[in-house]
Formats: sequence, C-alpha cells, structure tokens
Amino acid sequence: MKQFALKGLSVMSLRNRIALYYTIATGFLIAIVFTTIFFMVEKIVYKQFDDQIKKEISEILADSNISPDNFQGFDSFRDIDADHTSEKGDNRDEEHKHKRRKLKVDTEFIQLVNRDGEVINKSASLSWCVLAFNPNQSGTSYFDSNFGGSMVRQAQVPLNSADGKNEGYLIVAVPLKNALIVLHDLKDIFLFSFPVILLPLFLLTRSIAIKSISPIEKVIATAEKMSQSNLDQRIPLPFHHDELYRLASTINALFGRMQDAFQREKHFTADASHELKTPLAVVKGTLEVLIRKPREREHYESRIQFCLKELNRMAHLIEQLLMLARYESNKMTPRIVVVPLDPLLDSVVERMMPTAQAKGIAITLNHTEQVKIAADPGMLEMIVENILSNAIKYSSSSSSITIEVARSENNVVCTISDQGIGIPAEKLHAIFDRFYRVDESRSSSTGGLGLGLSIVKKLADLQQIRVSVNSVTDKGTTFTLTCPAAESRYPMEMSC
Amino acid sequence: MRLLIIEDEPGIAGFLKDGLEEEYFAVDVAYDGKSGLDLALTNEYDLLIVDWMIPAISGIEVCRQIRKAGSLVPILFLTAKDTLEDVVFGLDAGANDYIKKPFEFEELLARIRVQLRNRNRADDSLSAGGVTINPVTHQVFAGSIELTLTPKEFALLEYLIRNKDRVCTRSRIIEHVWDIHFDSDTSVIDVYITFLRRKLEAACCGNLIQTIRGVGYIVREPGMA
Repeated sequence: MKQFALKGLSVMSLRNRIALYYTIATGFLIAIVFTTIFFMVEKIVYKQFDDQIKKEISEILADSNISPDNFQGFDSFRDIDADHTSEKGDNRDEEHKHKRRKLKVDTEFIQLVNRDGEVINKSASLSWCVLAFNPNQSGTSYFDSNFGGSMVRQAQVPLNSADGKNEGYLIVAVPLKNALIVLHDLKDIFLFSFPVILLPLFLLTRSIAIKSISPIEKVIATAEKMSQSNLDQRIPLPFHHDELYRLASTINALFGRMQDAFQREKHFTADASHELKTPLAVVKGTLEVLIRKPREREHYESRIQFCLKELNRMAHLIEQLLMLARYESNKMTPRIVVVPLDPLLDSVVERMMPTAQAKGIAITLNHTEQVKIAADPGMLEMIVENILSNAIKYSSSSSSITIEVARSENNVVCTISDQGIGIPAEKLHAIFDRFYRVDESRSSSTGGLGLGLSIVKKLADLQQIRVSVNSVTDKGTTFTLTCPAAESRYPMEMSC
Repeated sequence: MRLLIIEDEPGIAGFLKDGLEEEYFAVDVAYDGKSGLDLALTNEYDLLIVDWMIPAISGIEVCRQIRKAGSLVPILFLTAKDTLEDVVFGLDAGANDYIKKPFEFEELLARIRVQLRNRNRADDSLSAGGVTINPVTHQVFAGSIELTLTPKEFALLEYLIRNKDRVCTRSRIIEHVWDIHFDSDTSVIDVYITFLRRKLEAACCGNLIQTIRGVGYIVREPGMA
C-alpha cells in the first residue's frame, strides 16, 4: 500500500503535488485554528454560566443571611423563588427593572437537599423535576447534567454547620440549551467550512503552481525540439530574475557548450576527412591518369616519385593521428624525470637548424642559468620541436626566432618567439583543437596538418606543463611553456 | 572544349590538367578562389571544376558569384566534404554536379561529358554533314571511313560541330580550343583548318568547314543553305 501511495506521488505532476502539499499544510493550520476557536468559545460560554451561577448562589445566601460554613438549618432559607436581585437595592431604578425582566427570562433552578440527597426544598421552576445530586462532592463544584431531557449547568454548594458537619447542599442550575445550540452550530459551521475552504484552496494553489512553473514547460518543449541539427534552439528567458530564470539560463549555457562540442566534433570530422582524402585523391588520380596511356620512363618515374611523397605525407598524418588517439585514451603515461633543459633545447635547435637555414631564419637560444625541470624528455622534445617547426613554417625568410629560459619561483618558463605572420586574436582559442588551421582553405603548401599544436597541448597536459600563446598579426607569435622546476618535484634527488 | 580548374592542391590540379589535356580539353588552372573567379568571369569556359576549400574565396562563393554574373557555365564541385548537407549545400549554391574526393578519373570524365552534352541528345556523338565524331572514344567518321586526327585537330572539329550552323569567330575558337597560355596569334587556326580540310577532303567531305571571310568559320548541315 505504501508503495502504491509513493508511486502515485511520484507520477503526480509537480503542480498537483505543490497544490496537495500546500492544501494539506493549510488544512492542518485551519484545523488547529478552528479547534482552538471552538474550545475558547466553549470555555468563555461556560465561564459565563459559572459566573452567573456563582452570583446567584451568593445572592441566595446573602438574602437568607446564610453562610455555607455556618449553616443553621434549612428553615433559615427564605422563599427561594423570590427574585433575589430585586430584593437588593432600589427596585424603582430603571436599570434594575430592566435587569429584572431579563433575569426572569433566564430561568434558574434552585434546589436544597440534605446530606442524604433528599430534596428539602426547590424552586417552582423545577416543577416536578429534580436536579441531579452528586453526594461525593466535598467543595463547591460546577458540572453539566441532564435535566428533564435538556442539558443544564449546575453548581452544588455544600452547607456545613459551624462545627464543620455537612448538613446538606444548595444546588443551583441554569439551562444550557441556547448556548449548546450556538456551540453546536459553530461546530457545524467549522466542519462544513473546512472542506469548502480546502477545495477552492487546492484549485487556486494548483492554478498558481501551473502559472509559476509554466517556464519549465517551455524548457521541456525546447529541449524536446532540440536535436543535433538544430542545436541553436534556446529557451526563452522568463521575465522575473528568479530561480526559473537561472534554470533557463543555465540550461541555455549548457546548450551552448553542447553546440560548441558538436561543432568542434563536426569540424574535426570534416577536417580529418579533408586531410586524409586529399592525399588519397592525389595518389589515386595521378596513378589513374598515368596508366591510361603508355608513357616515357621519365614520366612514370616523376609521377611515382610524386605519389610516394604524397604517401609519406599521409603516413605522417596517420602516425600523428594515432599518436594523439593513444595520448587521448591515456594509454601512454609520461616518464617524468629530472631533465636539464638546456642540452635538450640545444639538440632540438640543432635538428631544426637546416630547415631554418634553408629559409634564412636565425634561431637564438638565450639561457641565463642552468635549469633542470621535471618532465618526460621525449615528450618535451616533441613539444619544442612542434612549436619550433610551426615558428619556422610561418616565418618569413631572414627573420629570427628567439628561445628564452627563465626561472620563476617553482617553475621554469621557456618562451619561443617568432616574427612570423601571427595568429588573429579571434582564432587564438582554437589553435589547440585537432586539425584546426588558421588558414581555412587548409592549403597544403605550408605543409601543416593542424595536428602539431594539439599534440603539443596533449603532451604538455600529461606532464603538467602549461602552454600559453600570445600573438600579434604580422608581428609574430610567442609560445610560453611553464614547466615545473625539478627541485619542486624532486627535492631529495636534487640534494644528492 | 576549354575547362577551368580552381583547386589549391597542386597534386590534384596537376593530374587533372594532365589527364584532361590528354582528353583533348584545353585546361586552365587557378590555385585560389580570387584568381579563379577572375579567370571564370573574363574568359569563356565550357565547364568549371571547383574545389570547395580554396584560399581567398571559397568554392561556394566562387560558384555564387559566377551565377550572380548571369553565367550558366556548368560547374562541377570537387571536394572532400562528403556529408549529405554538404552535397545539398554545394548543389544549392549553383553547382551542376558534385564529386567527392577521392574519385575515379573515368567517372569525372563521364560527368564532364554529361555536362557538355547537348540537352536534347541522348548519346555523346555529334554529327554534321555526314561527319560523326565521338568525344568518348575520340573517333571521327566521315561516312564509314574513320579519320585519324591529332588532339588539336580533333578539338577544333569538335568545337565547330558542337556549334554547327553558327559562325565561330577566330577569337572564340582560340578561347575554346587553346588554353590561356597560348599566345593569341589566330593564324594557327588557319593552319589547323587547312589540315582538317585536307583530311576531310580525302573522305569526300572537303566542304564541311566553310570560311566566313574576316570573321571565322562555320560548319553547316547540308540543305540548310
């Protein structure tokens, strides 16, 4: 059963749930308020009756000059049917006349019983009836009792002789009928109005809930319409800057990131397909044209040489792609050791020198002090080589490339600056993307594939080397590598 | 037939030019969108082969500009982009056909022939005055006799027959049969016309090509005055 109930709640719509919870809470509060009011009214009514009875008793006693603690005998009572109030003071007074009339309406019952409960005397209003008597009462007590089919409120005052002996009781009662009708009606009104209030409250809360969560419906509608082909859909932002506004803008931001990711993926696929298919198309086409007709030996040789060159380019590309894939699946873990940076830079520069010299580019290496860093030497070499080869590729002849190394706290900062064509600011963010090329036509004349920098980034990330880039179009580009200094990683080894 | 290839990849442009020239086409090559567009708008080409991703102006833009200039020259898109959206996008930009890299050279030739084919003719062979030429097989028949023509002679005859009953001016002949590197000395046309007439004469069709003095040449279907 409990599971059923839970299931019912779990499939209930949010608006119904909000309305239900709200109605339950409000219903609970209303119930408390109604009950409190009812009991308070009841208490006030009874108090009034009790006060009236008390007053009546004291008047009867005062009239007959009787003290309940010094009871002389039932004979001392004067006519108990007399209007006690009128006995007192000036009965010609208008106010008293009014009061008298009123009191006559409020019938009261007076009865005297001896200690055994026998009726000694009673007021005429009682006619043949007898008020209930409770012999176990010691002090003055107030209680309800049934009298001739209707309820009365009555008080029972023990009458004691001077020596403390109980002689009898004075019982005074007033009818409760009207008061009980009022109380009963009040209860009925409360019981009736409870559901009458709750039902409209539920409906009202539900409609407020529907209105407040309507932006969520828009979120759902937009998200449902969303597919890979129309990722540019956005949720209309609600007017109020509230939680739903935040929800909508957060989801919009998420859509934005998804769109970026899809876009990047699409670009990657398109670029990869271009890079792989172009050399393939070149080789295939060249060979197809070659075998259509018989040709000179030299012609065959030159075309085959050309195809081999293209195939080498393709092999290089596939190798780089596979390397990236391996790094990305984290199958290759760097072997971090202490690396003296200067010899490493020297050897890379030495390797790149012929290419640079062929273009008339000078490479200067400025190292202020001998530094050692914590890195994988093979990977670090690949990083520097890639950046340097880019610098050479995009520099004009007779410009220069500068490599500088400096210490900065726990890091070693290595900067590689060229005076090449630079990278436009709006394209800087994408240069580490796989296959990204600033030149959108992906011209093969520069020989780049757009994988070098993504390899740099991947390798740097694996070794906790930070790569940043600054560039000014037509002025040059500076790559900054911030590597952890060996001392920070291997304090022990350094001290040996 | 004169073609323009707009392709930045020298490898592809290279074999296309080689292969198409062997098929008796006059071929010009532009290595970027801007110079390609200039060439396409200033010269009269029979067909353009355009790569999508080229420097300066993209292939799509070249295509749009050419169509905007009112030219109806057939454009063949040649690209590595291979998704359905790319194909549709390319064709919608004004291309007549779309070939994905890598492609078969024979297929490219067939698609070029489709674009050059006269709309209301089912096969590729052309004929006028009893002379039939087949651009697919490069065969020329005068009646039942097969003639042997050099590539240039063949290209010249093909151009004249394709434009039969219309006067082909000397400059248009140069434009369509020779490529852009040819020095515009139109006397070379007369030389080739003489060669052609001599070969046609041997097959008894000597008066197929008529001279319009001071203007150019015309091939007339006999009986059409």
